[in-house]
Amino acid sequence: MEVLDIILNILSSGLPCCLLALGIFLTYRILDFADLTAEGSFLLGACTAGVMIFNGVNPFLATLASIGVGAICGTITGVLNRYLKIPKLLSGIITLTASASIALLIMGMASGNAGLFKSQISFNVEKGGASQTIYSLFTPYVYDEAFGIWRVLSPWGEIIKIAIMAAVVALAMLAIYFFFGTEYGMAIRATGMSEKMAKAQGINTDVATIICVAISNAIIALAGALYVQEAKSASAITATGYLVIGLASIIVGEAVFGKRSFKNWIISVSLGSILYFIIVTIAIRLGLPTEFKSLLYAILITIALCIPFIKNGVNSIHLARKRKSEINKLSEKGDTKDVGTQECK
Amino acid sequence: MLELKNVSKIFNLTGSVEDERIALDNVSLQIKPGEFVTIIGGNGSGKSTTLNIVSGSLIPDSGKVILNDVDITKMPEHRRAAYFGRVFQDPLIGTAADMSVLENLEIAYQRGRIHSPITWGFKKADKEYFIEELKRFDLGLENRLGQKVGVMSGGQRQALTLLMATIRHRPTIKMMRRDYILFSQKDKVQAANEFDAELETNKIILKDKLDALKNSNLSRKERRIKAKEAMFEFDQAMLAKFDLTKQILLLDEHTAALDPKTARKVLELTNKIVCENQMTTLMVTHNMKDALTYGNRLIMFHSGHIILDVSGKEKQKLKVDDLLKMFEEADEKLINE
Repeated sequence: MEVLDIILNILSSGLPCCLLALGIFLTYRILDFADLTAEGSFLLGACTAGVMIFNGVNPFLATLASIGVGAICGTITGVLNRYLKIPKLLSGIITLTASASIALLIMGMASGNAGLFKSQISFNVEKGGASQTIYSLFTPYVYDEAFGIWRVLSPWGEIIKIAIMAAVVALAMLAIYFFFGTEYGMAIRATGMSEKMAKAQGINTDVATIICVAISNAIIALAGALYVQEAKSASAITATGYLVIGLASIIVGEAVFGKRSFKNWIISVSLGSILYFIIVTIAIRLGLPTEFKSLLYAILITIALCIPFIKNGVNSIHLARKRKSEINKLSEKGDTKDVGTQECK
Repeated sequence: MLELKNVSKIFNLTGSVEDERIALDNVSLQIKPGEFVTIIGGNGSGKSTTLNIVSGSLIPDSGKVILNDVDITKMPEHRRAAYFGRVFQDPLIGTAADMSVLENLEIAYQRGRIHSPITWGFKKADKEYFIEELKRFDLGLENRLGQKVGVMSGGQRQALTLLMATIRHRPTIKMMRRDYILFSQKDKVQAANEFDAELETNKIILKDKLDALKNSNLSRKERRIKAKEAMFEFDQAMLAKFDLTKQILLLDEHTAALDPKTARKVLELTNKIVCENQMTTLMVTHNMKDALTYGNRLIMFHSGHIILDVSGKEKQKLKVDDLLKMFEEADEKLINE
């Protein structure tokens, strides 16, 4: 069952990243706002959900709370940019920097912690235990008589986990699709494309930007919450590198699956992150040392960014060939008037 | 009526007095409803600044912008959009490139309304209306509703922007009430009461009509058509009494980036729309011939002052040479001073 294991592995790390990619997509592509808050809200989302589950709170409540925390992060970045006129990149960096300390503070709220801060938490999930994740609530258990403990029924435990993740991702995609088809969603898209036009058409671009950044970060924090419930631990460096993974997913997805319509675009972006994890897993399976992972990321992004350029090149070669064959056909007939260059006299 | 009262605007990037550039120096201007004003002047004479101050992109250093006797100097740009339609010089910024023609028109149609986060952006009835409007334009755009604006030519995009600047949803009752209270020059409570009373009487008339329809022995289809008519009459009655804010069109050198043939076509289109709807229009242009051909009033700016303001027959007599002469005289005067 090794193949099934690999597939389940890819999906369980890829699906939370679908949400991450969708969140980054909203700011980076729809709003044209390079938002570095992403890593911060992913971290805070993971920490918030992690700590609440550690403390025995209902996992659905914990997930909702982390969505809220993400939205607050986004709102702060938006307000910094819009009302305090700090450049987009910098306002993201400011929130990102602040989030590192806030994450330590949030993890410090874990029950039994003596100090104010805590740099990492981890929790055990077992049948009937205090800490439950949104996956474990639906996981089937079997009683292992030899050891006298409850074990997760394999592979159904994993499959149900993936199904829950997929359901959350699908829900988020539907929500994004419908929201950006409403009047306000269209106003936000117009703001991203031409702010001057949006203002002239009576759209309050400040509020539209802040709302879009907040939604984006709420989705990214949800990704963090899904991640922490799968990994069952969180630390201050949990989110490092995830911004690049999200961006790479967007670029790979667009290059491979296209962006013909908005629907197509959202699906491409989410499939992109799955595809991304497939490539990385294959590379590591083929014997690539994990130390080279970052190098692989860089190469992948470069190739994905080059795909449109290569496509153009292939197209022009194809067109040139077609033209040549047409000229040949015409010259066989002895008529070169319509095609080809005109000679100077 | 649109009014600028003693408006001044100074651009100063560095903060030192030497780098100051006076864009508008104590300019006062009154524009009556239905006037088509063409504005000419050299580079940096203040014509575009005037338009930007009217539309709210710039806030004047001193002076007031007054619309229908209400001071709108401090009103934010997006709120003013309900009263002004705008076309920019750059065809690329007037429309959203990655959205279809239909989506762009929908956004324009929502101008001055609250964008609802739960109502679906496309409405079938709107689409039919857009197709009708586009047919009047005669550009073949009505067959390309689903196409992305980004692939269209500059001229087509500018024509689309022009349509977007002129179509607008009829105001909702709530908006009419808000604008009536704002613009009616009456005591707020009094204006609100007056509006509510009128709304009530109109509602009763509408209700009577609908009741009469219900009891009549017409077929269902006929009844529906009659009911629509009654609703339309209700709207018209309310609009006639309370829609004080007629759209004003602001055109900022909107043909400058187009080739001569396309520019001519867009200008003709502008003239047609303005004349048909009797819109109050401010058109900034560099082309003196266009400024003389179109419109019924001409204003000439020079280094932040209005040096010429003619309308009607006087304007018709003017020729390009006269304008050039005036430019030179103004320049000499400035040097002498």
